[in-house]
Amino acid sequence: MSLQNCYNFDDFRKLAKKKLPSPIFHYIDGGADDEITLKRNTKSFDECDLVPNILASVGKPDLSTTIFGKKIDMPLFLSPCAMQRLYHHDGDKASARAADKFGTFYSMSTMANNTIEEISNISGGPKLFQLYVHKDQSITDDLIDRCRRSGFDGMCLTVDTLVAGNRERDHRTGFTTPPKLTLQSLMSFALHPSWVFNYLTHGKFKLANVATKTDKGTNIAKSVIEYINEQYDPAMNWKDAEYCVKKWNGPFALKGVMSVEDAKRAIDIGCTAIMISNHGGRQLDGSRSPFDQVKAISDAVGDKLEIILDGGVRRGTHVLKAIAAGAKACSFGKMFLFSLAAGGQQGVEHLLKNMHEEINRNMVLMGCKNLKELNSSKLIYRTSNKI
Amino acid sequence: MIMRLKDCHNFGDFRKLAKLKLPSPIFHYIDGAADDEITYARNTSAFDDVDLVPNVLRGVENVDLSTTIFGKKLDLPFYLSPTALQRLFHYDGERAVGKAAKKFNTMFGVSALATVSVEEISSLIDTPKMFQFYFHKDRGLNDSCLERAKAANFDVMALTVDTITGGNRERDLRTGFTSPPKLTLSSLFSFATKPMWGINYLTKGKFELPHLQDFVKEGTSTNSSIGNYFSTMLDQSMNWKDAEKLCSQWGGHFALKGIMSVEDAKKAVDIGCTGIMVSNHGGRQLDGSRSPFDQLAEIVDAVGDKLDVICEGGIHRGTHMLKALSLGAKACSGGRLYLYALAAAGQPGVERALELYKSELVRDMKLMGCTKISDLNRNNLRFRK
Ligand SMILES: Cc1cc2nc3c(=O)[nH]c(=O)nc-3n(C[C@H](O)[C@H](O)[C@H](O)COP(=O)(O)O)c2cc1C
Ligand SMILES: Cc1cc2nc3c(=O)[nH]c(=O)nc-3n(C[C@H](O)[C@H](O)[C@H](O)COP(=O)(O)O)c2cc1C
Repeated sequence: MSLQNCYNFDDFRKLAKKKLPSPIFHYIDGGADDEITLKRNTKSFDECDLVPNILASVGKPDLSTTIFGKKIDMPLFLSPCAMQRLYHHDGDKASARAADKFGTFYSMSTMANNTIEEISNISGGPKLFQLYVHKDQSITDDLIDRCRRSGFDGMCLTVDTLVAGNRERDHRTGFTTPPKLTLQSLMSFALHPSWVFNYLTHGKFKLANVATKTDKGTNIAKSVIEYINEQYDPAMNWKDAEYCVKKWNGPFALKGVMSVEDAKRAIDIGCTAIMISNHGGRQLDGSRSPFDQVKAISDAVGDKLEIILDGGVRRGTHVLKAIAAGAKACSFGKMFLFSLAAGGQQGVEHLLKNMHEEINRNMVLMGCKNLKELNSSKLIYRTSNKI
Repeated sequence: MIMRLKDCHNFGDFRKLAKLKLPSPIFHYIDGAADDEITYARNTSAFDDVDLVPNVLRGVENVDLSTTIFGKKLDLPFYLSPTALQRLFHYDGERAVGKAAKKFNTMFGVSALATVSVEEISSLIDTPKMFQFYFHKDRGLNDSCLERAKAANFDVMALTVDTITGGNRERDLRTGFTSPPKLTLSSLFSFATKPMWGINYLTKGKFELPHLQDFVKEGTSTNSSIGNYFSTMLDQSMNWKDAEKLCSQWGGHFALKGIMSVEDAKKAVDIGCTGIMVSNHGGRQLDGSRSPFDQLAEIVDAVGDKLDVICEGGIHRGTHMLKALSLGAKACSGGRLYLYALAAAGQPGVERALELYKSELVRDMKLMGCTKISDLNRNNLRFRK
């Protein structure tokens, strides 16, 4: 199996599974508890249908949209994801370069293995930084200042990770960061020698952006769960979020908003965007899927801030449905991480090319010339079937 | 256990036998659909969200299944949708399907990508015929198709409007399906294990696309994928004006194939269409799009009194047809419902499939307490939610 044979989510996932030691694969692939929300995130797209218009002489549709003050070439971008060096030795550099090439956002996690400065040196494309509020406020301030100096375009504050979710697969595989060799994980690492070789020969693993401020991310083998629970401030509230918005003073999103009420409060504290997200089903199992919730939120606040749907996106048609329901753009995590694991920068480019083609093809089949034409009249929910 | 035609009792059986007979790239070309094939599955499962409510004690010994569409009386309330490349599925191709359609006096749809010419088909059958038209960039080719179909006495012209660009058929990407079949290493094995198909394909006459071959190289000698054909040969700028012009140039019964929205159905009336086929191309184009049956009621309510509304796609059973007819479709049509049977056994295969659907319809009409198609109405149906 090679990158050329990867056409969809399952293909990339399969190839990633082959390449990665199993604790790392399951860290990406897994969700919280029984993974019901994880599954629902994608499944929810299947309960409504697109209704195309014909004979619309579409030509070449315009796929661009504007978020965080930047015009991007396609309405889909890379979600912030931690520790990309674990999935491929080029880590965030690979993702950032690929996103730049396709004219869309790369997002950097607080828990990235590259520094803010390193990435801004290699990519002039649109960049979003994902913030966690640390118990030690000087860490948060430092991150915001550095992003500004490095020319990041937008900032998002993740609000659904006050405590770590119950990722049972990680308990079973003994996933820690940096990887710790336990007896049970040893076998899997031994079976993936080229991953181990690349991991060991391409520079030291660290949580680069917080490394100087805390030793927790570097030396001690920590489970992510312990890290989150120790470092992030579970008492974070609307005031803290407002503080970050003011301090950044630019395009700002809350990531992990799920209720209409919270979306309205996001406007009040000065946010320009929200990312509707349940963290890819990795936090609260049994919580609602972003797509199930996007219409209600967009009806309430869609004219006042940019709505980004994050979670479960696997297909061009998922993006189309999200936009028809009121989103301005979508972002995705697992799918691009699998493509990163499958082939580094080339893998992510292959994925973005596929997705660009899918979105383009489906716009043509829908008879839509631009994303504005993709409005709620093009979407029918099955439950409205009646005679 | 060896499977034979007489072991085929339903859609699934024909599919199984076809799979045994066909090289896998060809089987998957028929069997596959776009992306995750969610719309393809929904086309059929949509019928399960509604239930039939029978009436009893109505005296139903004689059932009349006939319906009139496009000014033609058919003995069955369903017909055979136009599908491409039938000689890849069985060496008799369109000849087999056409003759079977004639036997049951229902309409035979002939694709622009047919492998037997309209002239030959019209010399074989005098029963109702539909010609399916693709709008090519080459206007000379368009005119030629239209004139030939007219000269060959075709009754209906159907313009397909849902293939502005090729769908993402991932099974074809994996199997490397092209037309005519190209032997790649990965497909070679599959062709080698189905020798009868190979022998028939090579010995029963040259593979041709007679409606295209004077105009394009894609028609014949070079191997081209179907997606490629849609994306390079067809005119993506096709609009309502073009359709209207074609409709008047044809001057007879005219249908748009692939209408899904009420708005477009109304426009079809305005440009002079006498029918529409509510269809998503059997789920082969836009995955995640609505199923014809889910969308049928709205469309019938809007335009059902002004033109013939046909429900197409996902039909595997007589009861599926009864449900669509109860909602107000004038007739149903389908592709795979006869294609697997064609691949399984040629003309006798298609005839057996049509006979099965017919006897299902008769039985189900009796169980519903109905003796003619116009007895069916929405009182027969209840939606679950
Ligand atoms: C391996 C992995 C690591 C992640 N790390 C972070 C992170 O550091 N910060 C964050 O805000 N979200 C993180 N997320 C969540 C993603 O940003 C995003 O919300 C989620 O992946 C979307 O769902 P999807 O994977 O179904 O596309 C992570 C997700 C995965 C799969
Ligand atoms: C193998 C195959 C080839 C087809 N070729 C054509 C074609 O050339 N022109 C066209 O308008 N539709 C074509 N179709 C679509 C059918 O006309 C019809 O819309 C579809 O098969 C209906 O769905 P069903 O197969 O579930 O009945 C094709 C379908 C199949 C399965």
